[in-house]
Amino acid sequence: MKTRKQKIDGVLAIVIEEREANLSRSEQFKELVQQEINAGERKLIISFINVDYVDSSFLGALVAILKSLLPLDGKLVLIGMNDDIVNLFQLTRLDKIFSLKDSLENALKEF
Amino acid sequence: MENSFPIIVELETPRNADDIFTFTKSVLEKILKYKDLDLAQQRRIKLILIELVTNSIKHSYDGTSQIKLVIDHPSLTIQKFEKGLQIEFSSSSQQIPFEDIDKTLKISFSEQNKHHIQTLDKYKFRFLNPYIEKGLNIEHMPEHFGFYIITLASDSFIYQYDPDVKENRYIVNINT
Repeated sequence: MKTRKQKIDGVLAIVIEEREANLSRSEQFKELVQQEINAGERKLIISFINVDYVDSSFLGALVAILKSLLPLDGKLVLIGMNDDIVNLFQLTRLDKIFSLKDSLENALKEF
Repeated sequence: MENSFPIIVELETPRNADDIFTFTKSVLEKILKYKDLDLAQQRRIKLILIELVTNSIKHSYDGTSQIKLVIDHPSLTIQKFEKGLQIEFSSSSQQIPFEDIDKTLKISFSEQNKHHIQTLDKYKFRFLNPYIEKGLNIEHMPEHFGFYIITLASDSFIYQYDPDVKENRYIVNINT
């Protein structure tokens, strides 16, 4: 799974460089982020700027990541989602659980 | 040009998860030839198709299934057929064939995948709109969203198993 990482003021930003966040990538992505958490990262931004759609498997991976991060006093902000992906979060009410922001600048203000 | 409804369209689903999005867009284009749909309806249809096909890739014998679209007024029905074993719930849930018909049951596929269903006959049930127990809390959120998304995105989502031909049928209705 192609991703790009960038550390900004103590926050790790992970940019998903795939158009499809789906079944074939969800486990690998979960493991990739979990490795960062295990390495001590607590402030995370995940960017969906290149992603066309998210399926249920990837949504499950995001929930698992957040469940892992919160007991460690960590924080996760999701950015760059298109209208279809935001609609999926609203439908499942995950927009009430996750912090969704429209830009990296606004996401960084959350930390 | 006047269309004679219902329009029936039958399609084979892709085997590769990376082909799902292209498949979904092409199916939506077929539907839009016959029906005007607003953006919200189009989004619901895309979500349902993505999850139906994802489910087949994960669970069917050979990763394939057939989709049948019934384009009608004022509804659209998306039916998915696949060969395989019937849905099995976790051991604490009632199993198919059901003994009690027209009952609301709480079933689970796993600790993170619970649903309420209404039994319609021995081999058929409707997914009921889920409610979140104990409020909106990350600890109680599921990690398996496939059926959950289809239920929320549709107006009716029914599962049926035909034991004679060992076929699973998923019947999704959307009011249009």
